[in-house]
Amino acid sequence: MPLRGSPSSVRPADSGRTDKTQAGQRTRRTDPGVPAPRGISGQRAERLAPYILLAPAIAIVVAFRLVPLLMGVNFSFTGDGERDGTAVGLDNYAELFRDPLFRTALENVGLLVLLLPVAVAIPGLLATFIYLRVPGHRIHRSVYFFPAVLSPVLVGAIFNLLLAFDGPLNAALGNTGIDPVDWLGDPDIAMFTVVGVHVWATFGMALVVFLAGFSTLDATLLDAARVDGASLPQVIWHVIVPGLSRTLQFVFVTTMIGMLTSMFGLLYVMTSGGPEGATYLPEYYIWVQQGEMNRPALASAASTVLFLLMLVVGLAQIALLRRAGREH
Amino acid sequence: MRRVRLRVWVVAVPMAALAVATIYPLVFTANVAMKTRHDYILDRFSLTSSLFWDNIATAWTSVGLGRYFANSVIVVASAVALLLLIGSMAGFALSHLRFRGSRALFLCFLAALFIPFQVIMVPLARVMADSGLMDTYPGLILAYVAQFLPFTIFLMTSYYSGIPGEIMDAARIDGNTTYGVYRRIMLPIGRPALLSVGILNALFCWNDVLISLLMMPSPEHRTLMVGVTSLRGQYSDDIPTFASGVLIAALPVLVLYLFFQRQIADGITAGATKG
Repeated sequence: MPLRGSPSSVRPADSGRTDKTQAGQRTRRTDPGVPAPRGISGQRAERLAPYILLAPAIAIVVAFRLVPLLMGVNFSFTGDGERDGTAVGLDNYAELFRDPLFRTALENVGLLVLLLPVAVAIPGLLATFIYLRVPGHRIHRSVYFFPAVLSPVLVGAIFNLLLAFDGPLNAALGNTGIDPVDWLGDPDIAMFTVVGVHVWATFGMALVVFLAGFSTLDATLLDAARVDGASLPQVIWHVIVPGLSRTLQFVFVTTMIGMLTSMFGLLYVMTSGGPEGATYLPEYYIWVQQGEMNRPALASAASTVLFLLMLVVGLAQIALLRRAGREH
Repeated sequence: MRRVRLRVWVVAVPMAALAVATIYPLVFTANVAMKTRHDYILDRFSLTSSLFWDNIATAWTSVGLGRYFANSVIVVASAVALLLLIGSMAGFALSHLRFRGSRALFLCFLAALFIPFQVIMVPLARVMADSGLMDTYPGLILAYVAQFLPFTIFLMTSYYSGIPGEIMDAARIDGNTTYGVYRRIMLPIGRPALLSVGILNALFCWNDVLISLLMMPSPEHRTLMVGVTSLRGQYSDDIPTFASGVLIAALPVLVLYLFFQRQIADGITAGATKG
């Protein structure tokens, strides 16, 4: 999961520099003491320097990210196949919401939203214990983090081996007298299995972010709470949660984005959307429509829905956490 | 100080168990990769009695993972080199040069960070096909650069913002042009950030499957991760060879992780803590 930064956290250019340097720069242009780059072409190159340095970045982002984004919204209002390029209004969206596979995908997004607090609480609690120096905390940190850097494809492949119906996990369960479970073949279970594997593979990422947040926490507050005889749950609720509100917000948003956009590898390897379409997510639906069904316009409509979904989820979470923070 | 002596083992034991549960699937896979097929069917769990390298050799040659491995190395190395070059130039300009639209441009890059690949992949495929880049190495490299550039710019800008402007002013007085400042001052100073961002980008590109699936339809252009997914069908009855493929693909990541764990964590947390 490419980690996204919180938008307000870095300011360009002037963050460390004040108007003083700005004035300094303005005068430098006419200051004869500074050796100016030689020649008129040199001066022009100097004046254009920011734009020249930024040109490749701008070109790539515009051509391969912004243009496609606008094209995609546009595509979603045109037809597929024979109707390629002609405007069809909202037909694609109507088809999308009639399609049981896409509906399952949306239901599964709902499930992910419900499971989100768990996916945040697990690394949060573990980070708390590591911060409190549970025995072996150094090793734990390294071990927990490793699966987070492993490709979802490899994670999925490994769990394919472990979770096969006649695989090791069921064999081990069988030894303790538990009936084998069809982890990936039962439509009622498969989605939970995949989400479980996703959480197993990525909780280390959130854990590391939490630990970085802890390093900014005022340790004297914790000590004060301890001296006052606060219990561990009280300390977590009254000291750690408010103290880490920014980190929590960041983890909530990135975990949700991760669930919506980086489970493709797992789905592709572990279930291919099955059984009976039970493990579809919007991103997998987009891939199937584009890569296998040759329905780019329909896929674009699904893309637009996914984008709006992410926007709503992100904004809602930020709003919720803001309010929670204010109440404290 | 931070002491939770009371019932510390109530927490410590499950956490140790979780650590084992985290590492066990990987150990299991490595163990299986070393077994003969016969041994695997007889007993999946026991520690392998032999180091049976034939599986690895089979996966590397007859399955063709060697070819895919080379493809991945070429693509990842080129993409990372481009990302670092373009990203550091942009980061330097956004953090230290004044020009009209600097702030707006930075915000645009930030916004681009929030466009997930799934949202743009359909039209991107068409852009790539129209420009003849579909199913070519430059096409896949460009797709990776486009995907991870906003993140790279964000981190490089934030790193360079912490470097005082006086350093640049001094270099200017010594007669450096802006380009000279970039090459002689900013690139060397940026080394820690470049290392961290470079390793993260290498991991992202190496681990990717969706972009590669979309951009490289021909089997001979497959990257390693796509190659591993294709093993699943062909070698579903030869688990040790399948596990060997997984091991081959995971090994470079493991090596990077062992050497650069701190840089990886730094890069990931940089966005979360600055602010």
